[in-house]
Amino acid sequence: MLKRLNGEDDMTGAEVAVRDAGFPAPFVSGLEYNAPARGPWNIVHTGMLIPESHQVFACAQGCLRGVILTAAEMLAMDRMSWISVDKNDLFDGSLERNIVDGTAEIIRKLPKKPRALLLFISCVHLFAGCDFEVIMSELRTMFPDIDFIDCYMNPTMRKSGLTPDQLMRRQLYAPFEPCPADRNAVNIIGNDRPTDESSELVRLVRAAGRELRDITQCRTYEDYRRMAKSALEITYLPTAKASGDALENRLGRKHLYLPLSYDFDEIERNLAQLAGALGIAAPDWTEAKQDAIRSLEQAKAVIGDTPVEIDYTATPRPVGLAALLAEHGFRVTRLYADVMIEEERPAFERLRALAPDLLLTATVHAKMRFAGKGVHERGDVIAIGQKAAYFSGTKHFVNIVSGGGMYGFDGVLRLARHMTEAATHEQDTETVIQRKGLGCRSCL
Amino acid sequence: MLKLAFYGKGGVGKSTTVSNLASAFAANGLKVMQIGCDPKADSTASLHGGARIRSILDLVRERNNDFTLEEMVRIGDGGVVCVEAGGPTPGLGCAGRGIIAALEKLQEKGAYDMYKPDVVMYDVLGDVVCGGFSMPMRKGCADRVFILTSGETMSIYAAANIAMAVKNFRGRGYASLGGFILNRRNVTDEDAKAAKLAADFDSEVTGALDWSETVQRAEQLGKTVVHAFPESPMAAQYRALADAVLAAVREGDASC
Repeated sequence: MLKRLNGEDDMTGAEVAVRDAGFPAPFVSGLEYNAPARGPWNIVHTGMLIPESHQVFACAQGCLRGVILTAAEMLAMDRMSWISVDKNDLFDGSLERNIVDGTAEIIRKLPKKPRALLLFISCVHLFAGCDFEVIMSELRTMFPDIDFIDCYMNPTMRKSGLTPDQLMRRQLYAPFEPCPADRNAVNIIGNDRPTDESSELVRLVRAAGRELRDITQCRTYEDYRRMAKSALEITYLPTAKASGDALENRLGRKHLYLPLSYDFDEIERNLAQLAGALGIAAPDWTEAKQDAIRSLEQAKAVIGDTPVEIDYTATPRPVGLAALLAEHGFRVTRLYADVMIEEERPAFERLRALAPDLLLTATVHAKMRFAGKGVHERGDVIAIGQKAAYFSGTKHFVNIVSGGGMYGFDGVLRLARHMTEAATHEQDTETVIQRKGLGCRSCL
Repeated sequence: MLKLAFYGKGGVGKSTTVSNLASAFAANGLKVMQIGCDPKADSTASLHGGARIRSILDLVRERNNDFTLEEMVRIGDGGVVCVEAGGPTPGLGCAGRGIIAALEKLQEKGAYDMYKPDVVMYDVLGDVVCGGFSMPMRKGCADRVFILTSGETMSIYAAANIAMAVKNFRGRGYASLGGFILNRRNVTDEDAKAAKLAADFDSEVTGALDWSETVQRAEQLGKTVVHAFPESPMAAQYRALADAVLAAVREGDASC
């Protein structure tokens, strides 16, 4: 077990003032720690968004533990099966055969045939050069009424190409095939929670008389399949951009990437772009902007100089959020992020100027093993995000992941309200953050 | 786009033959891409003065994904687009996995769309010993496999193994067998042995090459025979082989 040898508070290498931090990767990658803040979704949660689907994992037994626990916790064990891989499968060349035969057996034994089957292969299959196309082709021939989706649980390859999260979000829409476009429908792609109805994004789509489709609101497989017809794909999470690009290429649909932002000019540009694509005039957002600012001022009045800490699981733009809050007088003292995305570079420069002493802290650095329950615990903090809550030890935190469905000026307004609420209400942090997949069912 | 994979026992002369074919195709006005699928990364050496070029796996190791398509290729004599997959340190790592990673990276970086070659040639190390070595014959890679052999027993044996793998993979929509190429080593009954091998797989000997000192002389110059000694009888043999390969592909297409 990793032990602090001298008991001293030495965070060298795991923490740096933003004025001295490199961009986009301020820390050296090495032995990693994973804080017990389990709200962010994993590939199992995301895959479960497809209604009437079943997941099959083909991997070594040791790798199955995490995915099975996820399914069990979200009370979805009836939607998951697995095929374990043995070293002998490598010797006798049966890796591919076992997947085909195993999946077929699973399907035959299920009480009801799934509409879609998400088949996950693992690192060993990729190392061994298994031909996934051949596997899928054989299964499609055997079960033509099931949509088979190739999925990947390959953590050893997570630092090259698309991340497992990006890949999973892209594969969510893999069964969509070219078809005539329904001009009256618009998709939000790649999200794991609905976008607030009050957001300017949703209001614009409604104002244009379009139907908004989102996998998070699909109840049946037919709902999900209908998304294939929508004429416009909107993404706003960086992890979803590859999904939108893939649909644009494959279906010939227009894809608008309107990144979730806390920069008012960027928000306005995004909304103008959306209005243009919807063929309507962009409204005047002055009032919405003022409401957002007012909400920030109200939150500041309640929070005062209490330190604010933000982590990257709360929003894909934690640097931008920190800059916004610093601009509005909040005492943002710490930002938890192991790497930053290129989109955050302008915000990073702004933040350096606004709050040069703000500490940038890693979450996976081995030293963070002691940060949650040890000398770094600081109860008097408003945290935004579960990891910030865990590391600071606060009971006052905004419990969101991946932006929390908040978007635009309305998103800023709502986030400020959540901060106010966090300042005035305590939560049982340990109980709340140990539940996997915020928003999913949990048996805990 | 014509996509051809060349297999055969190590040392049988694959890289020399493939590079000369590349030169011959290029001399006929075709845009050629040659992809060396060998950890030694020396398949294309005679197309660019014998110098080593940085392999895709070198780039991946050094810079993960932070490199451009242009850095993965080198334009050789006759405008041939040269690519070396590379591989792990000898004795360590997995060469098959290296081939998979390199070919995936080429696809990912849009190599075929960017260079739009008329002919892509995969020069593949040795036998089909694992999934990685079957990668060049998979759907999306080569359409035809040509197997090089000499009349030596071990070479024939390896060629038969490879042909068997091609046959086994046919049901998967992989590349079909284009034919055998005999690289003569002056072994007794060499032509007959190659012909029998081809017949065993309902195929043909697409072409044969004599052993010639000209090949060694060209190699010492870091050039292909076709480029260094275009008027030589050996260059004529390579050009004839290039024509025969194209004819075999056309014939195969017609019979499909």
